[in-house]
Amino acid sequence: MASTLSPPARAHVELLERVWEERKGVFGWVTTVDHKRIGLMYLFASMAFFAAGGVEALLIRTQLIGPQQHLLSPETYDEIFTMHGITMIFLVVIPMTTGAFGNYLVPLMIGARDMAFPRMNAVSFWIFLGSGVFLYVALATGQAPNAGWFDYVPLASKQFDPGTNIDFYGYGLIFNGIASTATAINIIVTIFKLRAPGMSLNRMPLFCYAFLAAAFSLVFALPALTLATIFLELDRQLGFHFYDAGFGGDPLLWQNLFWIFGHPEVYIIILPAFGIATSIIPTFVHRRMVMFPMVALAELLVAFLGFGVWAHHMFAVGLPTLVTVYFAATSLIIVIPSAIQLFAWITTILTGKPEFTTPLLWIIGFIVFFIIGGLSGVTVAAIPFDQQVNASYYIVAHFHFVIFGGAVFPILGGLYYWFPKVTGRMYHEGVGKLSFWLSFIGTLVTFFPMHIAGIEGMPRRIYTYTAASGWTTLNALESAGAYLLAAGLLLVIVNLAVSLFKGAPAGADPWGGDTLEWATSSPPPAYNYAVIPTVSSAYPMWDEEDRERDRRRLERGQGLLARGHETPGTTVQDALLDEVLAMPPSSPLPALVGAVVFAGFIALVLAHFLIAAGIGGLAAALLVAWHVPPRGEKPAAEGGAR
Amino acid sequence: MSGAHPDAAGGRELSLAPQRPSLAPTPAAAGRVASRRRALPSGMWGMALFLGAESMLFAGLISSYFYLDFRATRWPPAGARLPETLIPSILTAVLVTTSVPVALAARRAIAGRRAATMALLGLAAFVQSGYLAYQLHDLVDQVHSLPPQGSAYASAYIALLGLHHAHVLLGVLLDLGMLFWLALSGLSDYRVTGVRCVALYWHVVNVIAVAVLLTELTPVL
Amino acid sequence: MRAGSQERLQGVAGGGPQARPVRGGSRRRGALALLLLAAAALSGCGGQQSILRSDSHQTHVISVLWWWMLAAAGVVFAGAVVLLVLAYVRRGRAGLPFVGERESLAGAMVIVFGIAVPLIVLLVLFGASDIYAVRFSEAPPAGSTSMSVEVKGHQWWWEIHYPGTAAVSANEIHIPTGTRVRLYATTADVIHSLWVPSLARKIDMIPGRTNAILLEAPSPGSYLGQCSEFCGLQHSYMRFTVIAEPRASFEAWLADMERPAAAPASGEQREGQQLFMSKGCGGCHRLAGTSAEGTVGPDLTHLATRSTLAALTIPDTPSELAAWIENPQAIKPGNHMPDLGLSGAQAKKVAAFLGEMR
Ligand code: HEA
Ligand code: HEA
Ligand code: HEC
Ligand code: CUA
Ligand SMILES: [Cu+2]
Repeated sequence: MASTLSPPARAHVELLERVWEERKGVFGWVTTVDHKRIGLMYLFASMAFFAAGGVEALLIRTQLIGPQQHLLSPETYDEIFTMHGITMIFLVVIPMTTGAFGNYLVPLMIGARDMAFPRMNAVSFWIFLGSGVFLYVALATGQAPNAGWFDYVPLASKQFDPGTNIDFYGYGLIFNGIASTATAINIIVTIFKLRAPGMSLNRMPLFCYAFLAAAFSLVFALPALTLATIFLELDRQLGFHFYDAGFGGDPLLWQNLFWIFGHPEVYIIILPAFGIATSIIPTFVHRRMVMFPMVALAELLVAFLGFGVWAHHMFAVGLPTLVTVYFAATSLIIVIPSAIQLFAWITTILTGKPEFTTPLLWIIGFIVFFIIGGLSGVTVAAIPFDQQVNASYYIVAHFHFVIFGGAVFPILGGLYYWFPKVTGRMYHEGVGKLSFWLSFIGTLVTFFPMHIAGIEGMPRRIYTYTAASGWTTLNALESAGAYLLAAGLLLVIVNLAVSLFKGAPAGADPWGGDTLEWATSSPPPAYNYAVIPTVSSAYPMWDEEDRERDRRRLERGQGLLARGHETPGTTVQDALLDEVLAMPPSSPLPALVGAVVFAGFIALVLAHFLIAAGIGGLAAALLVAWHVPPRGEKPAAEGGAR
Repeated sequence: MSGAHPDAAGGRELSLAPQRPSLAPTPAAAGRVASRRRALPSGMWGMALFLGAESMLFAGLISSYFYLDFRATRWPPAGARLPETLIPSILTAVLVTTSVPVALAARRAIAGRRAATMALLGLAAFVQSGYLAYQLHDLVDQVHSLPPQGSAYASAYIALLGLHHAHVLLGVLLDLGMLFWLALSGLSDYRVTGVRCVALYWHVVNVIAVAVLLTELTPVL
Repeated sequence: MRAGSQERLQGVAGGGPQARPVRGGSRRRGALALLLLAAAALSGCGGQQSILRSDSHQTHVISVLWWWMLAAAGVVFAGAVVLLVLAYVRRGRAGLPFVGERESLAGAMVIVFGIAVPLIVLLVLFGASDIYAVRFSEAPPAGSTSMSVEVKGHQWWWEIHYPGTAAVSANEIHIPTGTRVRLYATTADVIHSLWVPSLARKIDMIPGRTNAILLEAPSPGSYLGQCSEFCGLQHSYMRFTVIAEPRASFEAWLADMERPAAAPASGEQREGQQLFMSKGCGGCHRLAGTSAEGTVGPDLTHLATRSTLAALTIPDTPSELAAWIENPQAIKPGNHMPDLGLSGAQAKKVAAFLGEMR
């Protein structure tokens, strides 16, 4: 890109290059506060965890390939399926969506140069990484959580699980929750405050709406999980009785708290996927989204309604019928916003000129699987039916269709879609399509028979079954599907890895995309945009005039904001220019804070509370140091800031 | 908002002139525009959202308290001593009044008056740490007279107290950190936002203090 | 062995489903053309633990509900897929087929398919399932049942009592046919879930609570059940059977259960009894009328009437019983019966003794 610039424009770009230069090498990555580098680190870390969670899934499937297999002992099986669930939810999908996609793309899409709190962003990453390592330390030492990902008490109480397994669960999720909350807050403030001038809320990409909704859900849902785990550890460590029926506590308190978090959580998982779908579809069908405002509203509505349905996970616990009916009704209502979005996508594809490239194929796969999973979700909102299939493989089928087909497929489609942007190279289209079809068929063969297994009475979380049960064929089929699926996913990785080195150069905008990220070069420079773009519709890349004006402003050096790491701050609703924000430079503090917090949680899990408190004090001191005044800061003038 | 070209948003040019080359990443530009800022600064948004999360935590805790209350046949259980009313109410009232000095501190900070900001914040911190010291001392007694290992009621009661004290502790640390930096460096825009965030934190923690107090007093109300 | 126990054993050892009357025309009705594949797969199986066996009125209602939901879901799914296929077929041309490129029509389509149609479908579903069918799966109204049975979940077996009698059993719930039975579900330790898919909905067993469901079997037979909430290491082998038999034989069985333990007859059995008492078995197991009064493990007073051991882990044969006593951990790893260090010969004697506990 730089080579085609006129001399004055090049001078301006070079100025920005110098201002935004970061350290090279490993230290550069450790100290970075660049949202793109942090996003990439999130991506690599969550991919590694995906591989781990996938291996666990394959172990599960191999154990269940036939009756009475002995690959895994019952102890190991329990740890493996629990770690599979925790890994996939907390260490793969959440960090992959909000962490990797959100971090990398949200600032680009809104024309900002970084997240609102770049250093906090880096801390989030290191804390997330720490929490993942923490949980895998548990697995490596044979102390992995083993009471399932929703960890029902009293099975998870000290009495029935005296080891440190559950302590790793409790502390690990609090640990992880800190990172997710910080990321979510960061995304919300970034979207509210850093949108390019002119990008009023009604011109904001649907992708950002989806991430905004997911981030809000995270902020307000996670405290319920944190609270539940605090109670759990108080019960386990100090002998409190929140969950102890013998002393006036109630095991169902855990279930309520967990699902008050847990159901919003599943929409937190799917919403970013919705956002990815709404980014990919317009690009490849060459048409604007049908019913844009309604889709935006539906995205927010899903997140909001998601807080009112939690007890549909508890239809079999013996709640009064009236209560279950209420939660069944809310669970059915929430179908409507999903249906609106679904048909908005389908109609957009139908009325546009679809080009069935690899990313769009993954989205089509997503639509098909999300319908299957969504419809099975509707069937379990029918109370009597759920009272049959609850905790059976029917549920496993439901949530893998909505999670794997519904959330992971768009993530993979998104990886292909933004690969040229992130790396500057094209992936291999033929291999891309092959990887899609392998994964599509693999998913279907793996998870569809699980519906039937559930209806045939197969409970979930059993480490084996007898030949007489009649579940053998179904399970063998599922296992075969899982291997096929693994092959498809491996092909995705291989395709992207090889293309990283061998792919054809991509250019800034290989797809003719509609959102701002395609305006900058591939990969984007550290400062994202040489001049801050201005926006006058929801499809800024399709507004040729605006982009042409950006180029002219670059020649003139207008809107460079090059006196430091600067980015404009705008008003929340109308995105009127309000201030110029100074972003912090790179810093070793975030990684240091992450390391200290990690040490603190290790001390907690070893029940060295005094040491943990000491480490907490250290963290507090670091945070004070964190607020050292930015270099060259001058006191605000008398009469001051507002 | 529609109509006008966004580049001239609000009547101001995005950038006044081609910028002077400058290598030092200085935030000097910040003060320039910040003084005319119309929206809340990012820091305030961040703090507000964090406090939203913390409020959810307490909402959950208070709901859990009442959930267990409604499940129980006797709440508090037979033999458990009832909560005191007078001293906790007075203490909470004292804590709540510290909202006044922190609010004033934030206003002084916006006006650029460093000494006044520090004095007000210092006053608040003094009262708040006094409150905390008394409460922690009292908590030790309470744990003895109502051991949380005795019943779910005691567990919920002590956890409610303890978690709120933890938030007061965090607030006092915020006060002290803020005073530390105010003493060492000027009252920049960055620091003003900081003071406003601390003030917001205290307002919310004080509201929660009232909610916690009322919850704990339900058995005797 | 008692009549019917051969049949029961098949649940463990691999027997096929017994012929049993199929209610209504539900299967035929459900096999709508659109979901031939899935429907055929489902209606073709009907294994022992299938929820679609419709062995009681309650499960019949639920399976009818299922088939209707499946049909409706099939239509919705097929509709959406048809639209996608249409998009593929028309990939060269923009605009809606037949109606052209009107944005308002595209919007209308979203409103019709995304709001109007789902609203209708969901309202019907809500009425059918959550207003109507739910009445069949909720706890039976007070006074609507003539007898009750109490089942208590243990890590990893089931304890069964009949209120008003001294009868105690384990892992086999006997009920008279054609009788509405109220089943009380409680737990001794962690959460379990009692599930006999062909007879009734499942019900969780939760500390501090007593839940109730209706259990009813119109025709005699044995019905497989399994724990359905993760409860630790041997959740997989926490199984049981419901045995429905005509009123008279049920009453006879119940009276049998109230009798104290049989006295040993042969010398081998007497040696077995001594071992049983000296090796600490009685600390965990009860033999009614003896000093063995433990409640940690299943009541063994009438062990020999049961067709399986350790919650349907192995069949109740002399050799399997001896193997269990010798080394229970090898058979059901992690279960709460320790290895008590009996030799093979000793275990055989104890097994001979317990084998007479009728
Ligand atoms: C990405 C995650 C995700 C999503 C999006 C959903 C979506 C839905 N889920 Fe799911 N669910 C999970 C993840 C998810 N779920 C998980 C992880 C569990 C299990 C946790 C555990 O136990 O481990 C679970 C469990 C679960 C249960 C508890 C089952 C049990 O344990 O017994 C229930 C019960 O009501 C339920 C319902 C629903 C409903 C009604 C929707 C709806 O939102 C679906 C809406 C979508 C559609 C309906 C499809 C598209 C719409 C149309 C095609 C239009 C036309 C439709 C009609 C006319 C009906 N889910
Ligand atoms: C995001 C969520 C998510 C995802 C993606 C998956 C993916 C998969 N899941 Fe998972 N699953 C859960 C969430 C998820 N699952 C949850 C929450 C539970 C409940 C746990 C509980 O009960 O507590 C569960 C439970 C669960 C069970 C039930 C266990 C039981 O109840 O006993 C099974 C059984 O088959 C299963 C299978 C699979 C399979 C085959 C996949 C496959 O899709 C996996 C495919 C992935 C791979 C094969 C990895 C391949 C990747 C590579 C090869 C890349 C290599 C990378 C590098 C080189 C860097 N899962
Ligand atoms: C520490 C307690 C304990 C002791 C001691 C003990 N058992 Fe057990 N026993 C159990 C438990 C618990 C079970 C249920 C295991 C399961 O199914 O998970 C059981 C199951 C059994 C069963 C199968 C019962 C059934 O209905 O399926 C038999 C038979 C048995 N034990 C015999 C013995 C004998 C003989 C001894 C002495 C040598 C003995 N037990 C000692 C706890 C004990
Ligand atoms: Cu008992 Cu699972
Ligand atoms: Cu849910």
